[in-house]
Amino acid sequence: MKATLFNSVHYHGATPKDVWPVPVDYYSDEAAAESLATAIEQFRMADELGFDWITVAEHHFGPYSLTPNPTILAGALSQVVRRARIALLGPTTPILNPVRVAEEFAMLDLMTGGRIVAGMLRGTPNEYVTYNVNPSESRGRFEEALQLIRRVWTEPQPFGWQGRYYQFRSISIWPRPLQKPHPPIYMSGSSPESGSFAARNRIGLGFAATHLERATRAAEHYRREAERAGWTPEPDNIIYRLGFHVAETDDRAMEDLKAPTAIRRGTNISRANEAVEEAVANAGYYGADLEEQRNRSRDREQRTDEQIRGRIGRGQLLTGSPNTVLEQIKTIRETLGAGVLDLTIAIQHGDATRRSIELFGTKVLPRMQAL
Amino acid sequence: MTEAPGAAFSDTDIEADGFRVRYREAGRGKALICLHGGGGLRLSRTHDILAQDRRVIAFEAPGFGASPVNDRSGTMDDLAVTMNAAVAALGIERYDLMGTSFGGKLVLSMALDRREPVDSVVLISPAAIRINPAPDIGPHTLYRRPDSPDARREPVSPEVHDKQRALSARLLGPPRDGEFESRLATLDIPVLVLFGTEDTITPPQGARLYREVLPDCHLILVYDAAHAIDSDRPEALSEVVADFLARHGKFLVRQDSDLVYP
Repeated sequence: MKATLFNSVHYHGATPKDVWPVPVDYYSDEAAAESLATAIEQFRMADELGFDWITVAEHHFGPYSLTPNPTILAGALSQVVRRARIALLGPTTPILNPVRVAEEFAMLDLMTGGRIVAGMLRGTPNEYVTYNVNPSESRGRFEEALQLIRRVWTEPQPFGWQGRYYQFRSISIWPRPLQKPHPPIYMSGSSPESGSFAARNRIGLGFAATHLERATRAAEHYRREAERAGWTPEPDNIIYRLGFHVAETDDRAMEDLKAPTAIRRGTNISRANEAVEEAVANAGYYGADLEEQRNRSRDREQRTDEQIRGRIGRGQLLTGSPNTVLEQIKTIRETLGAGVLDLTIAIQHGDATRRSIELFGTKVLPRMQAL
Repeated sequence: MTEAPGAAFSDTDIEADGFRVRYREAGRGKALICLHGGGGLRLSRTHDILAQDRRVIAFEAPGFGASPVNDRSGTMDDLAVTMNAAVAALGIERYDLMGTSFGGKLVLSMALDRREPVDSVVLISPAAIRINPAPDIGPHTLYRRPDSPDARREPVSPEVHDKQRALSARLLGPPRDGEFESRLATLDIPVLVLFGTEDTITPPQGARLYREVLPDCHLILVYDAAHAIDSDRPEALSEVVADFLARHGKFLVRQDSDLVYP
């Protein structure tokens, strides 16, 4: 198995309760600088400890993430992270210019010597407010943008594109991606529509803000659809994102998680603005299993023993000693068959977090990679 | 638009090179001479839209449709001479050419035979240079949606089908024809080449070859279209074709506005 360390560059300062867009009344330059410095340091640690990848992501207008453009952070990390792949999970392609996305990925692939993983997402519902894009067209835009980006990377002659949502008269990008024919592509695939599209187009699938049972059902759908399309996904074609916190003992890990922190946890971006979420849901954003999709990221609190055990039981959190966490990983491997775990730092708590990354890297990672 | 595609087009014929050549026509203005694919003359919404701003003349090559078996055209060049005679017989002095699939090779041969009156050439899913030597042709490969009205239209009779199939196979030549391609390299006319991203008959992977061979060639991929782009994406196809016909190489530069409010 492979492990990737995900740091969303969560803002390390006081923020208001559930609201989106999040007003900047509380914003502190110092807290933002400290958040970014911590993230870069943790990515550097992960690279040195042998994590297979590190992950950056895109979110807008809130403290959940100070990387509205993850390609900029990936560009900086290309000079810091020397060995691990850099996964962008990913640009929210339906709200961006797909030719620009293709160019940025190609630049990053050159800058990293071919270590880029190209995730492309539809994003959380609120992102459709960000650049004023109609969410009812999100899936159509996503599918077209992905097909266009793949052509932009591989077409050997300048070409124009007469699409539904995109139109270009002549495209011929420089630089080209270093990986041939192009960097590995992943998309988020919790809904049946996404899983079918990924299978038809031989694209990897990522599951985030979900739980093990739901992800397993979605992965089974993906594998069935892939068989129909004439191929068999490898474990590495599936990424599963969940929180992690490791300490010397199980008890210590639980105590760390419950310790008070200035950083608000459990904030659900999708639900932070109910009017926005409902309007986006009504626009058909979620697809066939609407209620399941809308509810999948609830129950994210981790303040009490019961909440924490619930999250561990649902496969949303790895917590405990290195041995305990390895057993939790084995369960996920056996149930879901994912080859890549995208590990979100469950709590930012200075030394405890550094220790958690170190313990994972030295005591869990070598045994996980041998699975 | 509820009328069947091509409902506004007249249906008549003219004497040329010893053949009675059928053609359908609509619109006024600069002439666009259209030549069909191996399945015969078929008008689409694309023809209707293009005829709003120009004179569209869609010929039926001798040997297709209800016309007698054509044993006289020995090569594509022979047929090109016949079709150029038909254009001349209509008294048209300057025109653009548009060919689909089999018709793509035919209009290129027409332009090679008579270069002077041709301002530009449009090739839709052309079969002039082919990377798929034995395509599986049918409604399931011609159209993106085999249940669309275009895909479900009445098929031609088995006799007409066999006659057309034999003629196009005989005239089309090999997938790669070095002699023909070396002549194409001298064709200094603006050419627009369009392929559907879902085309399996003339797959878009072969599109680059036209750019490599033709000296003044623009390539456009039409998203989510199969071989019959004119049926699958008529609005998208006619927009870029009309813009190219009007502006040739300058069509790379946008003219319409993004202004939201004045």
